[in-house]
Amino acid sequence: MQEFLQQLVTGIAAGGIFASLALALVLIYNAMGLVNFAQGEMAMVATFVAFALINSGMSYWIVFPVTLVLAFGGGIVIQRVVIRPVERAPVLTLVIITLGLATLLNGLAGFVFGYGLHSFPSPFPAQSADVFGVFVSYRDLGVIAVSGLVLLAVYLLLQRTTVGLTMRAAAHHPEASRLLGVQVSWMLALGWGLASAVGAVSGMMVAPILFLEPSMMQTIIIYAFAAAVLGGIESPLGAVVGGLIVGVTVNLAGAYLVGGDLQLAVGLAIIVIALILKPNGLFGRASGRRV
Amino acid sequence: MAALLELDNVRAGYGPTSVLHGVSLVVPDGGVVALLGANGAGKTTTLRAITGGVRWNGEIRFDGRSLRRMSTEEIVRRGIAHVPEGRGICTELTVDENLKLGSHLRRDGAEVRKDYDRVFEYFPVLKERRRLSASTLSGGEQQMLALARALLMKPRLMLLDEPSLGLAPIVVRSIFQIIRAINETNRVAVLLVEQNARIALDLSSTAYVLEVGRVAVHGDSAELQGNESVRRSYLGY
Repeated sequence: MQEFLQQLVTGIAAGGIFASLALALVLIYNAMGLVNFAQGEMAMVATFVAFALINSGMSYWIVFPVTLVLAFGGGIVIQRVVIRPVERAPVLTLVIITLGLATLLNGLAGFVFGYGLHSFPSPFPAQSADVFGVFVSYRDLGVIAVSGLVLLAVYLLLQRTTVGLTMRAAAHHPEASRLLGVQVSWMLALGWGLASAVGAVSGMMVAPILFLEPSMMQTIIIYAFAAAVLGGIESPLGAVVGGLIVGVTVNLAGAYLVGGDLQLAVGLAIIVIALILKPNGLFGRASGRRV
Repeated sequence: MAALLELDNVRAGYGPTSVLHGVSLVVPDGGVVALLGANGAGKTTTLRAITGGVRWNGEIRFDGRSLRRMSTEEIVRRGIAHVPEGRGICTELTVDENLKLGSHLRRDGAEVRKDYDRVFEYFPVLKERRRLSASTLSGGEQQMLALARALLMKPRLMLLDEPSLGLAPIVVRSIFQIIRAINETNRVAVLLVEQNARIALDLSSTAYVLEVGRVAVHGDSAELQGNESVRRSYLGY
Protein backbone atom coordinates (compact mmCIF):
# COMPACT_ATOMS: atom_id res chain seq x y z
CA MET A 1 0.00 0.00 0.00
CA GLN A 2 2.78 2.43 0.89
CA GLU A 3 4.54 1.83 -2.37
CA PHE A 4 1.30 2.28 -4.25
CA LEU A 5 0.76 5.65 -2.61
CA GLN A 6 4.32 6.69 -3.41
CA GLN A 7 3.80 5.72 -7.04
CA LEU A 8 0.57 7.69 -6.99
CA VAL A 9 2.35 10.86 -5.82
CA THR A 10 5.07 10.39 -8.44
CA GLY A 11 2.30 9.97 -11.03
CA ILE A 12 0.63 13.18 -9.91
CA ALA A 13 3.97 15.00 -10.20
CA ALA A 14 4.43 13.66 -13.74
CA GLY A 15 0.82 14.62 -14.39
CA GLY A 16 1.56 18.21 -13.39
CA ILE A 17 4.35 18.32 -15.98
CA PHE A 18 2.12 16.82 -18.69
CA ALA A 19 -0.70 19.17 -17.70
CA SER A 20 1.50 22.24 -18.17
CA LEU A 21 2.56 21.20 -21.65
CA ALA A 22 -0.99 20.09 -22.51
CA LEU A 23 -2.28 23.47 -21.36
CA ALA A 24 0.21 25.13 -23.71
CA LEU A 25 -1.20 23.04 -26.58
CA VAL A 26 -4.77 23.94 -25.61
CA LEU A 27 -3.99 27.67 -25.45
CA ILE A 28 -2.77 27.69 -29.03
CA TYR A 29 -5.46 25.30 -30.26
CA ASN A 30 -8.11 27.60 -28.80
CA ALA A 31 -6.54 30.67 -30.32
CA MET A 32 -6.24 29.35 -33.87
CA GLY A 33 -7.53 25.80 -34.20
CA LEU A 34 -3.99 24.52 -34.58
CA VAL A 35 -2.06 21.78 -32.78
CA ASN A 36 1.41 23.23 -32.26
CA PHE A 37 3.77 20.33 -32.85
CA ALA A 38 6.71 22.58 -31.94
CA GLN A 39 5.44 23.12 -28.38
CA GLY A 40 7.75 20.51 -26.87
CA GLU A 41 10.82 21.76 -28.73
CA MET A 42 10.03 25.34 -27.70
CA ALA A 43 9.99 24.13 -24.08
CA MET A 44 13.28 22.30 -24.63
CA VAL A 45 14.97 25.43 -26.01
CA ALA A 46 13.68 27.45 -23.05
CA THR A 47 15.15 24.83 -20.71
CA PHE A 48 18.52 25.10 -22.46
CA VAL A 49 18.37 28.87 -22.00
CA ALA A 50 17.73 28.29 -18.29
CA PHE A 51 20.64 25.82 -18.26
CA ALA A 52 22.98 28.41 -19.79
CA LEU A 53 21.86 31.04 -17.29
CA ILE A 54 22.38 28.69 -14.33
CA ASN A 55 25.83 27.78 -15.62
CA SER A 56 26.67 31.47 -15.81
CA GLY A 57 26.26 31.52 -12.05
CA MET A 58 22.74 32.87 -11.53
CA SER A 59 20.64 31.37 -8.77
CA TYR A 60 17.89 28.97 -9.79
CA TRP A 61 15.07 31.08 -8.39
CA ILE A 62 16.20 34.07 -10.44
CA VAL A 63 16.70 31.97 -13.56
CA PHE A 64 13.19 30.49 -13.29
CA PRO A 65 11.20 33.73 -13.72
CA VAL A 66 13.76 35.16 -16.17
CA THR A 67 13.34 32.06 -18.35
CA LEU A 68 9.56 32.39 -18.24
CA VAL A 69 9.81 36.00 -19.43
CA LEU A 70 12.24 35.04 -22.20
CA ALA A 71 10.03 32.13 -23.26
CA PHE A 72 7.03 34.46 -23.29
CA GLY A 73 8.88 36.89 -25.52
CA GLY A 74 10.15 34.06 -27.71
CA GLY A 75 6.61 32.75 -28.20
CA ILE A 76 5.44 36.19 -29.30
CA VAL A 77 8.36 36.53 -31.71
CA ILE A 78 7.62 33.10 -33.24
CA GLN A 79 3.96 34.05 -33.73
CA ARG A 80 4.82 37.41 -35.30
CA VAL A 81 7.64 36.18 -37.54
CA VAL A 82 6.72 32.61 -38.48
CA ILE A 83 2.99 32.14 -37.95
CA ARG A 84 1.43 35.52 -38.71
CA PRO A 85 2.47 35.67 -42.39
CA VAL A 86 0.57 32.40 -43.00
CA GLU A 87 -2.27 33.02 -40.54
CA ARG A 88 -4.96 32.69 -43.18
CA ALA A 89 -3.41 29.64 -44.87
CA PRO A 90 -5.15 26.24 -44.65
CA VAL A 91 -4.58 24.48 -41.35
CA LEU A 92 -2.43 21.81 -43.02
CA THR A 93 0.09 24.49 -44.04
CA LEU A 94 0.25 25.66 -40.44
CA VAL A 95 0.72 22.11 -39.18
CA ILE A 96 3.62 21.58 -41.58
CA ILE A 97 5.13 24.86 -40.43
CA THR A 98 4.98 23.85 -36.76
CA LEU A 99 6.55 20.49 -37.67
CA GLY A 100 9.31 22.34 -39.51
CA LEU A 101 9.74 24.65 -36.56
CA ALA A 102 10.10 21.64 -34.27
CA THR A 103 12.85 20.15 -36.46
CA LEU A 104 14.55 23.53 -36.73
CA LEU A 105 14.57 24.16 -32.97
CA ASN A 106 15.79 20.63 -32.32
CA GLY A 107 18.69 21.03 -34.76
CA LEU A 108 19.48 24.50 -33.47
CA ALA A 109 19.67 23.29 -29.86
CA GLY A 110 21.91 20.39 -30.96
CA PHE A 111 24.16 22.77 -32.90
CA VAL A 112 24.53 25.23 -30.02
CA PHE A 113 24.56 22.93 -26.98
CA GLY A 114 25.50 19.54 -28.50
CA TYR A 115 23.56 16.30 -28.37
CA GLY A 116 25.08 15.03 -25.13
CA LEU A 117 23.18 14.62 -21.87
CA HIS A 118 23.37 17.45 -19.35
CA SER A 119 22.23 17.15 -15.79
CA PHE A 120 19.87 19.95 -14.89
CA PRO A 121 19.61 20.98 -11.25
CA SER A 122 16.43 20.53 -9.28
CA PRO A 123 15.69 23.32 -6.83
CA PHE A 124 14.25 20.80 -4.39
CA PRO A 125 16.22 18.54 -2.01
CA ALA A 126 16.64 14.89 -2.97
CA GLN A 127 15.36 13.59 0.39
CA SER A 128 11.92 12.29 1.12
CA ALA A 129 9.34 13.57 3.55
CA ASP A 130 7.36 11.24 5.78
CA VAL A 131 3.72 12.13 5.16
CA PHE A 132 1.54 9.96 7.38
CA GLY A 133 3.85 6.99 6.93
CA VAL A 134 4.24 7.42 3.18
CA PHE A 135 7.66 8.53 1.97
CA VAL A 136 7.20 11.24 -0.62
CA SER A 137 10.13 12.88 -2.31
CA TYR A 138 10.46 16.62 -1.94
CA ARG A 139 11.10 16.77 -5.67
CA ASP A 140 7.70 15.29 -6.46
CA LEU A 141 6.05 17.65 -4.00
CA GLY A 142 7.95 20.60 -5.47
CA VAL A 143 6.92 19.73 -9.02
CA ILE A 144 3.31 19.37 -7.91
CA ALA A 145 3.43 22.74 -6.15
CA VAL A 146 5.07 24.59 -9.07
CA SER A 147 2.75 23.07 -11.68
CA GLY A 148 -0.25 23.81 -9.48
CA LEU A 149 0.76 27.44 -9.05
CA VAL A 150 1.39 27.91 -12.77
CA LEU A 151 -1.94 26.37 -13.73
CA LEU A 152 -3.72 28.49 -11.13
CA ALA A 153 -2.00 31.62 -12.44
CA VAL A 154 -3.08 30.86 -16.01
CA TYR A 155 -6.62 30.18 -14.84
CA LEU A 156 -6.79 33.50 -12.98
CA LEU A 157 -5.31 35.36 -15.93
CA LEU A 158 -7.82 33.93 -18.40
CA GLN A 159 -10.92 34.02 -16.20
CA ARG A 160 -10.43 37.04 -13.96
CA THR A 161 -8.64 39.70 -15.98
CA THR A 162 -9.73 41.91 -18.85
CA VAL A 163 -6.78 40.76 -20.95
CA GLY A 164 -7.82 37.15 -20.37
CA LEU A 165 -11.39 37.99 -21.34
CA THR A 166 -10.31 39.63 -24.59
CA MET A 167 -7.99 36.68 -25.32
CA ARG A 168 -10.88 34.25 -24.95
CA ALA A 169 -13.18 36.43 -27.04
CA ALA A 170 -10.56 36.83 -29.78
CA ALA A 171 -9.95 33.07 -29.86
CA HIS A 172 -13.59 32.08 -30.26
CA HIS A 173 -15.09 35.04 -32.12
CA PRO A 174 -12.39 36.99 -33.94
CA GLU A 175 -14.77 38.96 -36.19
CA ALA A 176 -17.12 40.00 -33.40
CA SER A 177 -14.16 40.84 -31.14
CA ARG A 178 -12.63 43.15 -33.74
CA LEU A 179 -15.92 45.08 -33.84
CA LEU A 180 -15.59 45.55 -30.08
CA GLY A 181 -12.12 47.05 -30.47
CA VAL A 182 -10.15 43.94 -29.46
CA GLN A 183 -6.71 43.77 -31.14
CA VAL A 184 -7.25 40.19 -32.28
CA SER A 185 -3.85 39.68 -33.88
CA TRP A 186 -2.03 40.74 -30.72
CA MET A 187 -4.26 38.53 -28.62
CA LEU A 188 -3.10 35.56 -30.72
CA ALA A 189 0.50 36.63 -30.13
CA LEU A 190 -0.18 36.84 -26.39
CA GLY A 191 -1.63 33.32 -26.56
CA TRP A 192 1.61 32.08 -28.14
CA GLY A 193 3.67 33.88 -25.51
CA LEU A 194 1.62 32.44 -22.68
CA ALA A 195 1.73 28.92 -24.15
CA SER A 196 5.47 29.19 -24.59
CA ALA A 197 5.96 30.28 -20.96
CA VAL A 198 3.71 27.53 -19.59
CA GLY A 199 5.53 24.98 -21.76
CA ALA A 200 8.87 26.25 -20.43
CA VAL A 201 7.73 25.37 -16.91
CA SER A 202 7.15 21.77 -17.99
CA GLY A 203 10.63 21.70 -19.56
CA MET A 204 12.33 22.99 -16.44
CA MET A 205 10.39 20.58 -14.24
CA VAL A 206 11.13 17.51 -16.36
CA ALA A 207 14.81 18.24 -17.07
CA PRO A 208 16.10 17.20 -13.60
CA ILE A 209 14.29 13.85 -14.01
CA LEU A 210 15.24 13.02 -17.61
CA PHE A 211 18.57 14.79 -18.26
CA LEU A 212 18.62 17.75 -20.61
CA GLU A 213 19.23 17.04 -24.31
CA PRO A 214 17.62 18.25 -27.55
CA SER A 215 15.18 15.32 -27.76
CA MET A 216 14.16 15.54 -24.10
CA MET A 217 10.57 16.65 -24.76
CA GLN A 218 9.75 14.17 -27.51
CA THR A 219 8.18 11.61 -25.19
CA ILE A 220 6.70 14.27 -22.94
CA ILE A 221 4.86 15.87 -25.87
CA ILE A 222 3.17 12.50 -26.60
CA TYR A 223 1.89 12.38 -23.02
CA ALA A 224 0.81 16.01 -23.35
CA PHE A 225 -1.12 15.15 -26.54
CA ALA A 226 -2.72 12.26 -24.67
CA ALA A 227 -3.67 14.62 -21.83
CA ALA A 228 -5.08 17.27 -24.16
CA VAL A 229 -7.05 14.76 -26.25
CA LEU A 230 -8.39 13.01 -23.15
CA GLY A 231 -9.43 16.28 -21.51
CA GLY A 232 -10.80 17.82 -24.69
CA ILE A 233 -8.38 19.80 -26.83
CA GLU A 234 -10.40 23.00 -26.37
CA SER A 235 -10.63 22.85 -22.59
CA PRO A 236 -7.90 24.27 -20.29
CA LEU A 237 -9.48 22.48 -17.33
CA GLY A 238 -9.57 19.30 -19.41
CA ALA A 239 -5.84 19.62 -20.09
CA VAL A 240 -5.15 19.72 -16.36
CA VAL A 241 -7.42 16.83 -15.46
CA GLY A 242 -6.23 14.88 -18.51
CA GLY A 243 -2.62 15.52 -17.51
CA LEU A 244 -3.16 14.16 -14.02
CA ILE A 245 -5.01 11.08 -15.29
CA VAL A 246 -2.30 10.36 -17.86
CA GLY A 247 0.48 10.93 -15.31
CA VAL A 248 -1.02 8.60 -12.73
CA THR A 249 -2.09 5.95 -15.25
CA VAL A 250 1.25 5.83 -17.03
CA ASN A 251 3.17 5.73 -13.78
CA LEU A 252 1.07 2.99 -12.21
CA ALA A 253 1.06 0.99 -15.44
CA GLY A 254 4.85 1.31 -15.59
CA ALA A 255 5.25 0.17 -12.00
CA TYR A 256 2.75 -2.70 -11.88
CA LEU A 257 1.65 -3.76 -15.38
CA VAL A 258 3.85 -3.19 -18.40
CA GLY A 259 7.19 -1.98 -17.03
CA GLY A 260 9.05 1.18 -17.93
CA ASP A 261 9.73 0.28 -21.56
CA LEU A 262 6.08 0.25 -22.56
CA GLN A 263 4.98 3.38 -20.71
CA LEU A 264 4.92 5.39 -23.91
CA ALA A 265 2.65 2.77 -25.49
CA VAL A 266 0.22 3.37 -22.63
CA GLY A 267 0.22 7.06 -23.47
CA LEU A 268 -0.48 6.32 -27.14
CA ALA A 269 -3.20 3.85 -26.14
CA ILE A 270 -4.87 6.62 -24.13
CA ILE A 271 -4.90 8.85 -27.23
CA VAL A 272 -6.48 6.11 -29.36
CA ILE A 273 -9.04 5.05 -26.74
CA ALA A 274 -10.04 8.66 -26.05
CA LEU A 275 -10.47 9.37 -29.76
CA ILE A 276 -12.65 6.29 -30.22
CA LEU A 277 -14.81 6.54 -27.11
CA LYS A 278 -14.94 10.27 -26.48
CA PRO A 279 -13.62 12.20 -29.47
CA ASN A 280 -14.42 15.55 -27.86
CA GLY A 281 -12.68 14.60 -24.64
CA LEU A 282 -13.97 14.61 -21.08
CA PHE A 283 -14.52 18.36 -20.93
CA GLY A 284 -14.95 19.20 -24.61
CA ARG A 285 -18.28 20.13 -26.02
CA ALA A 286 -19.66 18.45 -29.10
CA SER A 287 -18.34 20.30 -32.11
CA GLY A 288 -21.79 20.96 -33.51
CA ARG A 289 -22.71 24.52 -34.36
CA ARG A 290 -26.07 26.16 -33.93
CA VAL A 291 -27.12 28.02 -37.04
CA MET B 1 -27.21 69.05 -38.11
CA ALA B 2 -23.60 68.42 -39.08
CA ALA B 3 -22.73 65.22 -40.89
CA LEU B 4 -21.25 62.59 -38.56
CA LEU B 5 -20.74 59.92 -41.21
CA GLU B 6 -20.38 60.53 -44.93
CA LEU B 7 -20.02 57.93 -47.68
CA ASP B 8 -19.01 59.38 -51.02
CA ASN B 9 -19.22 57.18 -54.11
CA VAL B 10 -18.16 54.04 -52.20
CA ARG B 11 -17.40 50.95 -54.26
CA ALA B 12 -16.69 47.64 -52.59
CA GLY B 13 -16.86 43.91 -53.15
CA TYR B 14 -15.48 40.51 -52.32
CA GLY B 15 -12.61 39.47 -54.56
CA PRO B 16 -13.66 39.88 -58.19
CA THR B 17 -17.34 40.31 -57.29
CA SER B 18 -18.25 43.94 -56.77
CA VAL B 19 -21.27 44.59 -54.60
CA LEU B 20 -21.38 48.36 -54.13
CA HIS B 21 -21.24 50.47 -57.29
CA GLY B 22 -20.90 53.95 -55.83
CA VAL B 23 -22.97 54.47 -52.70
CA SER B 24 -23.22 57.95 -51.20
CA LEU B 25 -25.07 58.69 -48.00
CA VAL B 26 -24.94 60.94 -44.96
CA VAL B 27 -25.78 60.25 -41.32
CA PRO B 28 -26.23 63.51 -39.40
CA ASP B 29 -24.90 63.81 -35.84
CA GLY B 30 -27.59 62.43 -33.55
CA GLY B 31 -29.82 61.38 -36.46
CA VAL B 32 -31.46 58.08 -37.36
CA VAL B 33 -31.01 56.94 -40.96
CA ALA B 34 -32.56 53.80 -42.45
CA LEU B 35 -30.83 51.80 -45.18
CA LEU B 36 -33.40 49.67 -46.99
CA GLY B 37 -33.45 47.34 -49.94
CA ALA B 38 -33.91 43.76 -51.05
CA ASN B 39 -31.65 40.84 -50.20
CA GLY B 40 -28.28 41.23 -51.90
CA ALA B 41 -28.68 44.96 -52.54
CA GLY B 42 -25.52 45.69 -50.56
CA LYS B 43 -26.87 46.87 -47.20
CA THR B 44 -24.66 44.63 -45.07
CA THR B 45 -21.65 45.31 -47.31
CA THR B 46 -22.15 49.04 -46.79
CA LEU B 47 -21.95 48.58 -43.02
CA ARG B 48 -18.93 46.28 -43.37
CA ALA B 49 -17.16 48.87 -45.52
CA ILE B 50 -17.69 51.51 -42.83
CA THR B 51 -15.97 49.39 -40.13
CA GLY B 52 -13.24 48.14 -42.45
CA GLY B 53 -14.53 44.58 -42.88
CA VAL B 54 -14.29 44.82 -46.66
CA ARG B 55 -11.97 46.75 -49.00
CA TRP B 56 -13.46 49.84 -50.59
CA ASN B 57 -12.78 52.74 -52.97
CA GLY B 58 -14.23 56.22 -52.80
CA GLU B 59 -14.35 58.04 -49.50
CA ILE B 60 -15.76 57.36 -46.04
CA ARG B 61 -15.47 60.11 -43.44
CA PHE B 62 -16.40 59.85 -39.77
CA ASP B 63 -16.48 63.08 -37.80
CA GLY B 64 -14.68 64.78 -40.69
CA ARG B 65 -11.78 62.31 -40.84
CA SER B 66 -11.22 59.73 -43.54
CA LEU B 67 -11.42 56.09 -42.45
CA ARG B 68 -9.21 55.02 -45.34
CA ARG B 69 -6.61 52.35 -44.43
CA MET B 70 -7.76 52.18 -40.82
CA SER B 71 -8.13 48.77 -39.19
CA THR B 72 -11.49 47.71 -37.77
CA GLU B 73 -10.13 48.09 -34.24
CA GLU B 74 -9.05 51.70 -34.87
CA ILE B 75 -12.37 52.64 -36.49
CA VAL B 76 -14.34 51.14 -33.64
CA ARG B 77 -12.22 52.98 -31.08
CA ARG B 78 -13.19 56.27 -32.73
CA GLY B 79 -16.78 55.75 -31.63
CA ILE B 80 -18.61 53.45 -34.03
CA ALA B 81 -20.43 50.47 -32.55
CA HIS B 82 -21.36 47.89 -35.19
CA VAL B 83 -23.91 45.23 -34.27
CA PRO B 84 -23.30 42.83 -37.15
CA GLU B 85 -25.51 40.37 -38.97
CA GLY B 86 -26.15 37.49 -36.57
CA ARG B 87 -25.53 39.85 -33.61
CA GLY B 88 -21.92 38.86 -32.89
CA ILE B 89 -22.64 37.44 -29.43
CA CYS B 90 -19.76 35.47 -27.90
CA THR B 91 -21.66 32.35 -26.95
CA GLU B 92 -18.71 30.82 -25.09
CA LEU B 93 -18.86 33.72 -22.62
CA THR B 94 -21.39 34.73 -20.00
CA VAL B 95 -23.79 37.64 -20.41
CA ASP B 96 -21.66 39.69 -18.02
CA GLU B 97 -18.47 38.92 -19.92
CA ASN B 98 -20.11 39.98 -23.19
CA LEU B 99 -21.11 43.28 -21.61
CA LYS B 100 -17.60 43.75 -20.23
CA LEU B 101 -16.21 43.36 -23.75
CA GLY B 102 -18.34 46.36 -24.69
CA SER B 103 -16.85 48.58 -21.98
CA HIS B 104 -13.34 47.11 -21.78
CA LEU B 105 -11.63 50.02 -23.55
CA ARG B 106 -13.23 52.76 -21.44
CA ARG B 107 -11.34 54.48 -18.66
CA ASP B 108 -14.20 56.60 -17.28
CA GLY B 109 -15.16 54.18 -14.47
CA ALA B 110 -17.93 56.24 -12.88
CA GLU B 111 -19.63 56.81 -16.24
CA VAL B 112 -19.33 53.12 -17.09
CA ARG B 113 -21.19 52.19 -13.91
CA LYS B 114 -23.95 54.66 -14.79
CA ASP B 115 -24.17 53.17 -18.26
CA TYR B 116 -24.52 49.67 -16.78
CA ASP B 117 -27.42 50.94 -14.65
CA ARG B 118 -29.03 52.45 -17.72
CA VAL B 119 -28.53 49.28 -19.75
CA PHE B 120 -30.16 47.17 -17.05
CA GLU B 121 -33.04 49.65 -16.94
CA TYR B 122 -33.57 49.13 -20.67
CA PHE B 123 -33.08 45.37 -20.49
CA PRO B 124 -33.94 44.05 -17.00
CA VAL B 125 -33.76 40.48 -18.30
CA LEU B 126 -30.01 40.83 -18.86
CA LYS B 127 -29.49 41.72 -15.21
CA GLU B 128 -31.30 38.55 -14.16
CA ARG B 129 -29.15 36.43 -16.47
CA ARG B 130 -25.80 38.14 -15.89
CA ARG B 131 -23.99 35.00 -14.78
CA LEU B 132 -25.48 32.66 -17.38
CA SER B 133 -23.82 31.66 -20.62
CA ALA B 134 -24.92 33.90 -23.49
CA SER B 135 -25.75 30.73 -25.43
CA THR B 136 -28.75 30.16 -23.14
CA LEU B 137 -30.43 33.41 -24.24
CA SER B 138 -33.31 33.47 -26.73
CA GLY B 139 -32.92 35.28 -30.04
CA GLY B 140 -34.61 38.40 -28.71
CA GLU B 141 -32.50 38.39 -25.57
CA GLN B 142 -29.34 37.99 -27.66
CA GLN B 143 -30.37 41.02 -29.71
CA MET B 144 -30.88 42.93 -26.44
CA LEU B 145 -27.43 41.82 -25.29
CA ALA B 146 -25.90 42.99 -28.57
CA LEU B 147 -27.56 46.41 -28.23
CA ALA B 148 -26.60 46.68 -24.57
CA ARG B 149 -23.00 45.81 -25.36
CA ALA B 150 -22.91 48.37 -28.18
CA LEU B 151 -24.31 51.03 -25.84
CA LEU B 152 -21.59 50.27 -23.26
CA MET B 153 -19.00 51.17 -25.90
CA LYS B 154 -20.30 54.75 -25.54
CA PRO B 155 -20.41 55.19 -29.31
CA ARG B 156 -21.33 58.30 -31.27
CA LEU B 157 -22.76 56.13 -34.03
CA MET B 158 -24.41 52.71 -33.97
CA LEU B 159 -24.58 50.53 -37.07
CA LEU B 160 -27.42 48.04 -36.63
CA ASP B 161 -27.73 45.18 -39.11
CA GLU B 162 -31.31 43.88 -39.16
CA PRO B 163 -32.12 44.00 -35.47
CA SER B 164 -35.60 42.60 -36.22
CA LEU B 165 -34.37 39.46 -37.98
CA GLY B 166 -36.02 36.29 -36.71
CA LEU B 167 -37.79 37.96 -33.80
CA ALA B 168 -41.48 37.92 -32.86
CA PRO B 169 -43.32 41.19 -33.73
CA ILE B 170 -43.88 42.10 -30.08
CA VAL B 171 -40.17 41.71 -29.34
CA VAL B 172 -39.31 43.77 -32.42
CA ARG B 173 -41.56 46.58 -31.21
CA SER B 174 -39.97 46.74 -27.78
CA ILE B 175 -36.45 46.62 -29.23
CA PHE B 176 -37.23 49.48 -31.62
CA GLN B 177 -38.65 51.52 -28.75
CA ILE B 178 -35.35 51.08 -26.95
CA ILE B 179 -33.35 52.03 -30.05
CA ARG B 180 -35.38 55.23 -30.17
CA ALA B 181 -34.73 55.85 -26.47
CA ILE B 182 -31.00 55.25 -26.94
CA ASN B 183 -30.97 57.73 -29.81
CA GLU B 184 -32.90 60.38 -27.89
CA THR B 185 -31.42 60.17 -24.39
CA ASN B 186 -27.84 59.24 -25.27
CA ARG B 187 -27.74 61.27 -28.51
CA VAL B 188 -26.28 58.32 -30.39
CA ALA B 189 -26.68 58.51 -34.17
CA VAL B 190 -28.04 55.31 -35.77
CA LEU B 191 -27.58 53.81 -39.22
CA LEU B 192 -30.19 51.08 -39.40
CA VAL B 193 -30.22 48.31 -42.00
CA GLU B 194 -33.61 46.63 -42.25
CA GLN B 195 -35.74 44.35 -44.39
CA ASN B 196 -38.76 45.45 -42.41
CA ALA B 197 -39.21 48.80 -44.19
CA ARG B 198 -42.32 49.92 -42.36
CA ILE B 199 -40.83 49.82 -38.87
CA ALA B 200 -37.51 51.27 -40.07
CA LEU B 201 -39.25 54.24 -41.74
CA ASP B 202 -41.24 54.86 -38.56
CA LEU B 203 -38.05 55.16 -36.53
CA SER B 204 -35.81 57.02 -38.97
CA SER B 205 -35.91 60.61 -40.15
CA THR B 206 -34.22 59.94 -43.50
CA ALA B 207 -33.92 56.77 -45.54
CA TYR B 208 -31.91 55.40 -48.45
CA VAL B 209 -33.11 52.54 -50.63
CA LEU B 210 -30.35 50.43 -52.19
CA GLU B 211 -30.86 48.53 -55.41
CA VAL B 212 -28.06 46.30 -56.72
CA GLY B 213 -25.33 48.32 -55.07
CA ARG B 214 -26.64 51.80 -55.86
CA VAL B 215 -28.85 54.27 -54.05
CA ALA B 216 -32.13 54.10 -56.00
CA VAL B 217 -34.15 56.53 -53.88
CA HIS B 218 -33.48 58.61 -50.81
CA GLY B 219 -35.29 61.23 -48.85
CA ASP B 220 -37.36 62.07 -45.85
CA SER B 221 -38.69 58.88 -44.23
CA ALA B 222 -42.22 60.20 -43.80
CA GLU B 223 -42.34 61.29 -47.44
CA LEU B 224 -41.07 57.93 -48.69
CA GLN B 225 -43.69 56.23 -46.59
CA GLY B 226 -46.39 58.42 -48.11
CA ASN B 227 -45.20 57.90 -51.67
CA GLU B 228 -47.14 54.94 -52.98
CA SER B 229 -45.06 54.27 -56.10
CA VAL B 230 -41.84 54.17 -54.03
CA ARG B 231 -43.51 51.89 -51.52
CA ARG B 232 -44.75 49.55 -54.24
CA SER B 233 -41.61 49.40 -56.34
CA TYR B 234 -38.93 49.32 -53.66
CA LEU B 235 -40.35 48.56 -50.27
CA GLY B 236 -42.84 45.85 -51.13
CA TYR B 237 -45.81 46.83 -48.99
